[in-house]
Amino acid sequence: MQENKLSSLLKLRGEITKPIRLALLSGWMLLFLIFWIFSPMKALPTPTEVLLALRRMFAEQHLLYHLVVTLKLNIVGLVYATVVSLLISYLGTLPLFYHLNRAVQLLRYIPFVGFNLIFLTLFTIGFPLKVAWLTTGMSFFLVTGMTAVIESIPRMKYELAQVLGYNGWQTFYTVVARPTLPHMMDIVAQNAAIGWVMITSIETYARTEGGIGAQIYQYSSTNNLAEVYGLLMLIGLIAAVEDAIFVFLRRMLFPYSTLAERA
Amino acid sequence: MASYEDCVAGPLEGHVERREALLKLERVTQSFRMNNGVELVVLKELDLEIIDIKFKPQIVSLLGPSGSGKTTALRIIAGLDKPKFGQVLIGDGEQGSLRRVRAGDVGVVFQRYPLFDDLRVVDNLVEPAVRIGKMSRKEALDQALQYLDRFNLVRQGYSWPVQLSGGQRQRVAILQQLITGKKFIVLDEPFSGLDPISVSNAIQLISEIAHQHTLNTFIIVTHDVSAALLISDHVYLLGRERDEKGNPLPGARVVKVYDLIAEGIAYRDNMEDLPRYRELYKQICRKDFPLL
Repeated sequence: MQENKLSSLLKLRGEITKPIRLALLSGWMLLFLIFWIFSPMKALPTPTEVLLALRRMFAEQHLLYHLVVTLKLNIVGLVYATVVSLLISYLGTLPLFYHLNRAVQLLRYIPFVGFNLIFLTLFTIGFPLKVAWLTTGMSFFLVTGMTAVIESIPRMKYELAQVLGYNGWQTFYTVVARPTLPHMMDIVAQNAAIGWVMITSIETYARTEGGIGAQIYQYSSTNNLAEVYGLLMLIGLIAAVEDAIFVFLRRMLFPYSTLAERA
Repeated sequence: MASYEDCVAGPLEGHVERREALLKLERVTQSFRMNNGVELVVLKELDLEIIDIKFKPQIVSLLGPSGSGKTTALRIIAGLDKPKFGQVLIGDGEQGSLRRVRAGDVGVVFQRYPLFDDLRVVDNLVEPAVRIGKMSRKEALDQALQYLDRFNLVRQGYSWPVQLSGGQRQRVAILQQLITGKKFIVLDEPFSGLDPISVSNAIQLISEIAHQHTLNTFIIVTHDVSAALLISDHVYLLGRERDEKGNPLPGARVVKVYDLIAEGIAYRDNMEDLPRYRELYKQICRKDFPLL
């Protein structure tokens, strides 16, 4: 029996029990800690140094304020990017907007700095500029993912609506907009990670308000690596919570979508 | 105008009163350009006429081997594709009056029974009934629950489509078309991939629905000879004829029509025991199919 359970660890789509999953997670974390503690890299701060740096930043360096600034930017940017991207993706189903949709997708290859001048001209330095940067940067990736979801709708679904006698709007709502929402949520969740990468760069460019990105820049330029790693760990933690929230929301709002995956 | 109250439940015996044409395919030709630039003629001057028979269920089969253009014909009948030449005409409710078919006139039950997976089973019926059947939400819900009850699906009413078995999906897909008031319902290969018992159940189900809705016309697209004979009142054999040298001519058409009412075997119980059924089955399998 035990042998069977262990052999499923290396089996394709092998199923494991909850205790084994927990044991695996603990094992991997332990392995990571051992590697970190005994790492030969001298520049790497120890776990204790990182934890102390985090405590110091919260107590003396207003880390909570910087965290709120970044979270606010993250949420506002994500909401704007989602709305804009949904609009561009859904409009892409109409021939009139197809090329606009393709162009937006291609823009994800352009380096971020390419847009600096345009944004500095259009927006006031500070929160509006950062939101515009984040919204635009994330939208390039979101539109790509969302359009792929729309393109994967089987032709038969459109034809079902057609033979039932649905008009264009009814078909769009029933076949395209409504059933793709759980997948769109997945795309947003996946790209939220890209958002965090962008946020740190954006806050490095526009440091007036502070934020986690500005803090990382400041500490790395003064070679305070324990603080830098502490902030990176904090981002990882927030990202994990964000992921869990998306999973929870998907299960709550679209219960059929998780059933479909299991079927 | 006839109503559901005029319908008589089958199986039906007695006098056959043929009335006006319900659906007509006139010289329908369809071709596709292939990657090498060659024009592939799939259907060539396909003529087909489905006549209304008073108080009788109407189940006709489009029978043909694989690649005989059945699905192409289905798509044209349903208004999903336009033919290169020819036309499909459909009765518009007034006696003898026909008009060109439009998408939405003919219901289709597709092969894998697609449903709206983000709606519960009952809402898969209610939503189309409200939008297309022009019912109020309450009327649509009452009607949907009646249908689900009649077809043993009440328990599944509040399930998600993904939780249904293949047979249950098939029933919901048929009901979805019925509730929107479709007079013509085409079923694309409803017996394909089913074991013999499931085929028998599917035949029984479709027959039951047809007998309860004698104002509807069911068109079964299939390659299953036995099922086509067991379920239909007319079987249209679709295929490509051959020239004197035995080479197939381009484009399929209706090469033979089997009028099972005239043959005296339509709507009979235990049809498989009738000698005429066995003769027809042998004739189609051994003589007619190999010639296509």
